[in-house]
Amino acid sequence: MTVLIVEDERSLSHEIEIFLTKEGYHCDSAFNGAIATQRILENNYDFVLLDLGLPDTDGLLVLKEAKAKGTESAFIILTARGDVDDKVKGLEMGADDYLSKPFSLTELQARMQAILRRKHGLKSNTLQIGDFLMNINNRTVHFHDSLVPLTKKEFDLMHYLALNRNRVLTRMQLIEHIWGDMMDDEYDSNFIDVHVKNLRKKLSAHSNIDWFETERGIGYRFNLPGT
Amino acid sequence: MRLQNKFVIYNALSKALIVGAFALLLPLIAEKIAYRHIDNRLEARKDLLIRKIQLGGLDQALLEEDCSFDDYNIFKEEFISIQPLSNEINHESDSVQINNEIWSIDDGNQQEHRVIRQSFLYDNQWYELNIGEGVTAINQLKKTITGFSVWSMAIIVFISVFLDLGFARFVLRPFYRIVDRKLRNTNNPLNFEFDQVKTGTYEFAYLDESINSLMKKIQEAFNIEREFISNVSHELLTPLSILKTRFENLVTDPATPQATAIKIMESEKTVNRLSKIIKALLMISRIENEQYLKNENADLSSIVEEVVEELEARIEAKPVKIIKNLESFEYLSCNKSLIFTMIFNIVNNAIKYNKQSGIIEITGRRSGNEYFLSVNDTGRGMNKEQVDLIFGRFKKLNKDDDNSFGLGLAIVKTIAAFHQITIKVESEIEKGTSFSLIFSNKK
Repeated sequence: MTVLIVEDERSLSHEIEIFLTKEGYHCDSAFNGAIATQRILENNYDFVLLDLGLPDTDGLLVLKEAKAKGTESAFIILTARGDVDDKVKGLEMGADDYLSKPFSLTELQARMQAILRRKHGLKSNTLQIGDFLMNINNRTVHFHDSLVPLTKKEFDLMHYLALNRNRVLTRMQLIEHIWGDMMDDEYDSNFIDVHVKNLRKKLSAHSNIDWFETERGIGYRFNLPGT
Repeated sequence: MRLQNKFVIYNALSKALIVGAFALLLPLIAEKIAYRHIDNRLEARKDLLIRKIQLGGLDQALLEEDCSFDDYNIFKEEFISIQPLSNEINHESDSVQINNEIWSIDDGNQQEHRVIRQSFLYDNQWYELNIGEGVTAINQLKKTITGFSVWSMAIIVFISVFLDLGFARFVLRPFYRIVDRKLRNTNNPLNFEFDQVKTGTYEFAYLDESINSLMKKIQEAFNIEREFISNVSHELLTPLSILKTRFENLVTDPATPQATAIKIMESEKTVNRLSKIIKALLMISRIENEQYLKNENADLSSIVEEVVEELEARIEAKPVKIIKNLESFEYLSCNKSLIFTMIFNIVNNAIKYNKQSGIIEITGRRSGNEYFLSVNDTGRGMNKEQVDLIFGRFKKLNKDDDNSFGLGLAIVKTIAAFHQITIKVESEIEKGTSFSLIFSNKK
């Protein structure tokens, strides 16, 4: 998988690159719109992560030109501008997703995977987690033939941990993914523990879930090496 | 009082004053003129008669005048009377008097007459000549003219009030059009209509132009503020996103010792807090700048359901019990996500400040075009001063409460104002707090 990171803030570009490289992506960087346009046309990237506030041009123009030239890369807009219109405009111009800064890297990766699934139109869109089978399209979890009844939030939680398996997800990352910006503060970020506890109870009723680990003081992890 | 009414009243009063004065003067003038005519006539007759007497003698003169010593022409209401005077008294032949006198003629009928009187010497005998003319007709005329004047004055004033009213309304119409179109119906300066309102009145065109140029300045200021918000948000949020991603990479790096990872996570929390404050301020600012559309319809009861579902984890973690009693209501022309945020913040607060195993009662009642939503909690409550503060920005009600940024309710207030939703808060210490919202669909 190849990714072009279009971001004039080099430190940010660098951090994204560290993260995605670890995840097995091959990353290129462009620090302004002109180079970005050139690179997009020369290479057939799987993803273009596009900042809108570029020093030489508006990121939306880069997107417009790339789309006009028929590029097949998936675009994710990353912006701190946050004009209400920007999101609408970006998506109308053919961007695949939109993340406002500051965003979480795990969230970015989850969005990228969602785009991949959508693009490749996987019919049997499933994830094997231990003895459980998650169906992403139907939003169901099965243990062999029996359905594990999960609430919407419990499914989201499990899905997010599954996408980021073998990595600790902090409570904050989980809250941000599941509730977005809605939770105005962290007066009791422990409420996520309630969901985790409920999810654990439902899963452990069927099978041993040693792989569902708690990293004390930090968060949770699906420890499933080799998957 | 309306300007047009003021004008009409002023006009009516000033006209009444002028016409009234005229109506009072007119009979007097008419009377004066009539008397002058009579006096001239009497004078001429007197001169003629005296000349005739001097030339042809008293008898001849009386004969020609077709009258006797004490003659009276009843039809003409005129009379000539010549009376001999006692010669013992000194008389002056050139003293002429004209007066109004009551004379009793023939049948004893007393009538007011204009009488000219002169003494003259004839044949060594003094005579007094009185020539009279009735003035009853003049008095009648005066009365008629007075009556006519008063009536016509009343009619003129009456008609002119109506004409003035119509005219004032016509002339002022562009003024109301300017106010309606340019001021009252302009909620957002960015939607301002710059085309001129048609008017032939210079002052209104001037007003219109002045409003237009003021609006242009406001629009510029608006756009500058928008740009400023966008720049500030970019300049603040970009460095925060560098920190956030760096912390994230460090926490997940297996080489980072766990104790360090926990500290980094705490730092990341601080970054999150900062970014949420900035986003909240931006949101308030964008709502106030009318950057959100109000083009959706939302069922308020299902929004409340969604909010409760979204907060399920917190409800369970506290724990609190939610009692819902909701009638459905289609709220028109709103911004769904803002309404969601508003209700979310209120319910979130009700959980946050509730006691353990407390109760939150959410009631929604519709009544015609209105919907009354109330969220009552059994929390710690507030005193009156605190209630007055809660919608302000960065107001912390409890000093020991580290995590509150005090923006949640400021956002609520801004969203409510944006939608013209009425909010009331009642609270009692240790009993709980009640938020009441009134949503209204405009016809």
